[in-house]
Amino acid sequence: MFLYLPVALTSVNTMIILGVGLSIGLLSGLFGVGGGFLITPILMMLGIPPTVAAASGANQMVAASASGTYTHWKLGHVDFKMGAYLLIGSFIGGIFGVYAIAVLKALGNADFIIKLTYVLIPLTVGGYMMAEALQSMRKARMGENAEAPKKESGFKKSLKSLPFQTDFPKSGVRHSALLPVILGILVGILAAIMGVGGGFIMVPIMLYLLDMPILVVIGTSLFQILFTVIEVTFLSAYTNHTVDFTLALIMLIGSSVGAQLGTMLSKKLDAEQLKILLAFLILAVGIKILSELTLSPSIRLAL
Amino acid sequence: MHNSRFTLKAIAVTVLTVLSALFIFSGIAFAQLNVATNQSRIEIDAFYHGSSIKISGDTDPGTDVIMKITSPEGESKLREKGKVGVFWMNTRELKFEHVPNLYLLYSTRNIKDIITKEEADKYVVGYPAMEKYISIAPIREDREKSRWFKEFVKFKEASGLYGISSGRISTTKNGGEELYNTTIDWPFQAPPGKYMVTVYEVKHGKVIGKTEASISVKRDGFVKATGNMANKNGALYGVLSITIALIVGFGISLVFKKA
Repeated sequence: MFLYLPVALTSVNTMIILGVGLSIGLLSGLFGVGGGFLITPILMMLGIPPTVAAASGANQMVAASASGTYTHWKLGHVDFKMGAYLLIGSFIGGIFGVYAIAVLKALGNADFIIKLTYVLIPLTVGGYMMAEALQSMRKARMGENAEAPKKESGFKKSLKSLPFQTDFPKSGVRHSALLPVILGILVGILAAIMGVGGGFIMVPIMLYLLDMPILVVIGTSLFQILFTVIEVTFLSAYTNHTVDFTLALIMLIGSSVGAQLGTMLSKKLDAEQLKILLAFLILAVGIKILSELTLSPSIRLAL
Repeated sequence: MHNSRFTLKAIAVTVLTVLSALFIFSGIAFAQLNVATNQSRIEIDAFYHGSSIKISGDTDPGTDVIMKITSPEGESKLREKGKVGVFWMNTRELKFEHVPNLYLLYSTRNIKDIITKEEADKYVVGYPAMEKYISIAPIREDREKSRWFKEFVKFKEASGLYGISSGRISTTKNGGEELYNTTIDWPFQAPPGKYMVTVYEVKHGKVIGKTEASISVKRDGFVKATGNMANKNGALYGVLSITIALIVGFGISLVFKKA
């Protein structure tokens, strides 16, 4: 069945869009990522203009992240306190990010630097996660106690000396309140420069720098994404008129169901398996972007 | 005095005769060519996925028919993909002027075999003629124009908005008359707007007759209401989009919780 999209001004196969939604929802329920880096290119391949693809992708993510957040919250996997600090940070970071783009543009070849971050960030983050997960699996196989407290690095020790130390009971960690705000700012800047929600940067940061348990990371990340995508949807609808609700509605029916399936699956897998799968996903995204950027395009013009 | 009145009368009669002869002869040459479409209005509803339009008419025996379907000329700005270091990325902007958004060409036979280059250029029939007609900026030389025009056509053909279908118009003889007809797959990618169907009657490489019809594409019902709201009432549209998404998201998680 085909449906005509009133804002994108094109017609799409409903089943394909539903399938795209289901897959994106599955990934977000499983890993706590928004999937913006996947939705936009897929929708563009289906003939939807890039701005409409990004805005409608954010609109459907409102449903997927609401669905995922609710279920993860019921399971006790959402750290609202941590989430709030990170949100404040990423909000401030988003403002800085917009200025950062303006500065980059003024310096020239801004696009090149943006593309470089697109390749380098997923490859470094995914590579690090993969190496870390493989190492802990090897230790477990050699009979070492994988759960033994890791030696704290100098960097982490210095974080403990920051002011405003506070407990995050849900995550079972104690950090300076400044830490999540600063990390949130960094993610916000990067996300604004790259034009994505930043879930795939935020998740590894919560895992490795804030030492949060993986299920709480997923739930808290979805909680944050919910706010980000609501903001993006409203601004896109209000200022650019680029939200196609017909498109979003088909996708979000799929993605809300997908988010439930993903959440159920995340309980079945253990932390190491989840980390390896997520590392694979992030690496695959990096490699896909790298190949897209280096292979000759078949058509040398774009919108 | 009398003589001059006679001369005046003679001139008037001659002019009238010549004019009426021209009128009659032009009538013979063009009267038969006409065009009719089975729908002149395409309505885009929620399930719209393009349309099929039958276009037919009368033509003179022994002539060829070329049909051009276009949207009004405009300008189109596209980004050029260039290599910066090792990466392919969007580099400069190219402006294509005097280009239609839609350009579909149908004909009875291969266009090159029907019409001379000069006539094709005059009526902007075919890609080589269009290449001469349009302008691209900024470019330095003709070779560059040719290269980017080819890319432009590739881009438009990939989105279903440009196409050349030779031999897709069939003709049938009906007594001393000839009928042409074709069915075109109207692309769903063509946005709402007014489109022009121009039919050329061609003989010995020259256009001897020309007629036009128009097709208007309009949004209807739900598609129209939603599109209008998105453009005119963005804030309310945004709030509704978010609210419905939240309801569906929470709703589905409640359904799963019960299950």
